[in-house]
Amino acid sequence: MYLDTTIILIAMVVAFVLSSIFLKSAEISMIIAASVGILFGVAHGWTSSFSRVFVEGLFTNLDIALLFVTASFFVNFYSESGAITTLTRKLVSKSNNKWVLLSAMAIFMLIPGAITGAGSISVFVLGSMVAMIARAMGLSEKKTAAFVFTFAILSAAAPPVNLWAMMIASGSDMPYVGFTTPLLVPILIVGALSIIYFGWGSKPKDTAEILKNLPDASKDIAWWRIILPPAVLLGVFLVSYYLPFNIPVIGLPLTFVIACIVAIICNPNKLSPKECWNIMDKTMEQIFPLIATVLSVGVLQNAMSATGVKGLIGITFITLPLVWIYISILFIAPLLQGSLNYGSAVVFGAPLIFLFNTMGYNLTIIASAMSLIFPIGDCLPPSRITGRLSCEVVGYEGSYGSFLKAVLVPCLILAAVALVMMVFPDKFAFLVL
Amino acid sequence: MSEKLNNNITVKLICFIIAAILAIVAGIQFYDHRTYKETVVVSDSFTEKKMLSDYVPSLKNTMADTPVFFFDSGVEGGTVLYLGGTHPYEPAASLSAFVMMENINVEKGRVIIIPQANRSATTLGMLGNAYPQYYHVDTEWGSVKYKIGDRWAHPLDSWPDPFTYRHYPSGLQLTYQDLRNVNRCYPGREDGAPIERVCYAIMEIIRNEKVDLAIDSHEAAVMYPVVETYVAHERALDIAMMAAMNLSATKFYMKCEASPTNLRGLSHREWGDFSDTLAILMETPQPFTDWIVGPMTEELQTIGADEFLGTAMEHGLTYVEYDKNVGCPMKLRVGRHLSGAAEAIDWTNASFPEKEVVVNWPSYEELMEHDCGYFLHDPAKADTDKIFEI
Repeated sequence: MYLDTTIILIAMVVAFVLSSIFLKSAEISMIIAASVGILFGVAHGWTSSFSRVFVEGLFTNLDIALLFVTASFFVNFYSESGAITTLTRKLVSKSNNKWVLLSAMAIFMLIPGAITGAGSISVFVLGSMVAMIARAMGLSEKKTAAFVFTFAILSAAAPPVNLWAMMIASGSDMPYVGFTTPLLVPILIVGALSIIYFGWGSKPKDTAEILKNLPDASKDIAWWRIILPPAVLLGVFLVSYYLPFNIPVIGLPLTFVIACIVAIICNPNKLSPKECWNIMDKTMEQIFPLIATVLSVGVLQNAMSATGVKGLIGITFITLPLVWIYISILFIAPLLQGSLNYGSAVVFGAPLIFLFNTMGYNLTIIASAMSLIFPIGDCLPPSRITGRLSCEVVGYEGSYGSFLKAVLVPCLILAAVALVMMVFPDKFAFLVL
Repeated sequence: MSEKLNNNITVKLICFIIAAILAIVAGIQFYDHRTYKETVVVSDSFTEKKMLSDYVPSLKNTMADTPVFFFDSGVEGGTVLYLGGTHPYEPAASLSAFVMMENINVEKGRVIIIPQANRSATTLGMLGNAYPQYYHVDTEWGSVKYKIGDRWAHPLDSWPDPFTYRHYPSGLQLTYQDLRNVNRCYPGREDGAPIERVCYAIMEIIRNEKVDLAIDSHEAAVMYPVVETYVAHERALDIAMMAAMNLSATKFYMKCEASPTNLRGLSHREWGDFSDTLAILMETPQPFTDWIVGPMTEELQTIGADEFLGTAMEHGLTYVEYDKNVGCPMKLRVGRHLSGAAEAIDWTNASFPEKEVVVNWPSYEELMEHDCGYFLHDPAKADTDKIFEI
């Protein structure tokens, strides 16, 4: 079985690399790599249906795709009213202190992801505004994209909802209790260091110049029109979270649809059905590559499961000597996150928790530390969802490699903090309240 | 320009045709899995079939509604509830319920069996895990096909998920999809999400039918510590402990754990806390649900021989003595459940004579000798009133 699955893994990697070179599309390359894997599985008699494994894979991340579509609708309809520009103008007019503004943007970015568990939500909801202010504070386009990405992944890892920690806890029958401080403290430390890293040496532009360079704010847009759509969004999040037994399950896509309708109503310029259609059409054009990514990642996940490639990677990793687990988790966990998304926490999380359990370590700290490492992979291929999204929202047109270089330092800081927690979990046990 | 446009349209047309073919072929298979019914021929002890919707009417005509089978001796005694299919990707639990239903003989008291507790979850595989849709059991009269399902109810029956699931009534946070997990939603809510209603209905059965002993059958990964285990509510702990000791001494290794008080929504905790029943959960070893196994095949489900798990065993990462050449075959897992349940009933009888249930069904030894198919009856030769399609 080792030989067969290794051959399939190599075949899938070769197919992916060759397709990437010739077709220049990560999504199509993933689909081709997955198809090669499934065909090998069919040839071995491991699966009888190419079509079922393929199509089932497309449904794996359908909810995430729907979330991206509806969140994008909300952001584009909200932007259409001029609310984001007006809000940015007001913020810059109030203060031009880069540390204050960057810290405020960082905290804003943490909130949506912390509540929903998805860093992409932070990028969708606040990315464009944060980008405008970060640029105004003198950050380059590359650093701006890196700033948005860094706080997006920190928001996904932040409590109360950290999906990696929840999945690790679920797989190992640990209650998701006591995670707040072990997650919050490292995130605040890494966040503070990241703000210093990004802001160091940058020179904020003059307020008048910033305002001049911002698009014209809508003249008659009232505060309530600016506040109401995000307030409704936040309100529905909070009601869903704190009063779950008093309202039906709404789900994130519908939450964004509701906020989107509010944004349309609050727009001072009444939109005609044709204008609405055009915005939706433009949004779908914008979002299509990302949707293709999450759907093709699902097919790849299914192919890796069907052929045992997922198991091969998992068993190779967890049977390493402990010191190599500590070293390699910094690379393998993010890389797995890049291909399996939250599935990475399921493949690695539970077996490692049981391994550390036999050593008598504090498992809440271990699970928290692991859940800080996985999000780093959100900028890595093949999926690189949050990374790409950050570049797109910010409008960064440089190479993706240069973006990766820009996020390297914050990611290394995050990885280092997580590694220290993993190696010395009992020293941090005091954080578990 | 025109040639390029034509090429573009041709490529799109070819892609569309391929997509349509894939969708139609896969769609037929999904539809078949969604609508396939498993057949059971109940024994002569069968007395009545109800539905969960008899206890929570809002479940009627939904995919979450599921049959409840009563086997009543007519002799006053205790009542036992046996639950299979809480997690349909652990099919030995359902199959043990089917073997039980086909062969049960109740002499005193009554037994209630729910073979597909999460019926909705029997209608799809776990997304991203490429499960085979069915497994087969060979009998003398042919091969019988059973479904391999998911851990969670089908999204078509319970959607959307919340971004985080808060357990009722504790408010504990769990992963979002656990709102579709029968073993995370107890004690349930009558007006909640579909699976919360299923759990509430099962609680209503336990309370209204005055169930004395309730057994929830599961399967566990061999790398999961709570495998080959009874997990018991504190009131049932003595019974489970005695049963585990006796089984370990006479049949197969079985351990016992107390239900954690801070882990909410599980049967062994909430059944005991929200009713007077003695609540026990049983786990058999099942390689199929391990995290690091090889290709997802029917053989991995029915036999469970896996080289990667063998390596895990060599590194001390498994919690059972695992032989990669033997695996954990279905007959072993079904047999463990059947004898595990019988042992728990015996010790309940010994501890509470007034709640005695005298019942028998095939034992672990019989399953190991004859395999599962030997105990399944041919519907073609059975009375029609004994045949049920679920």
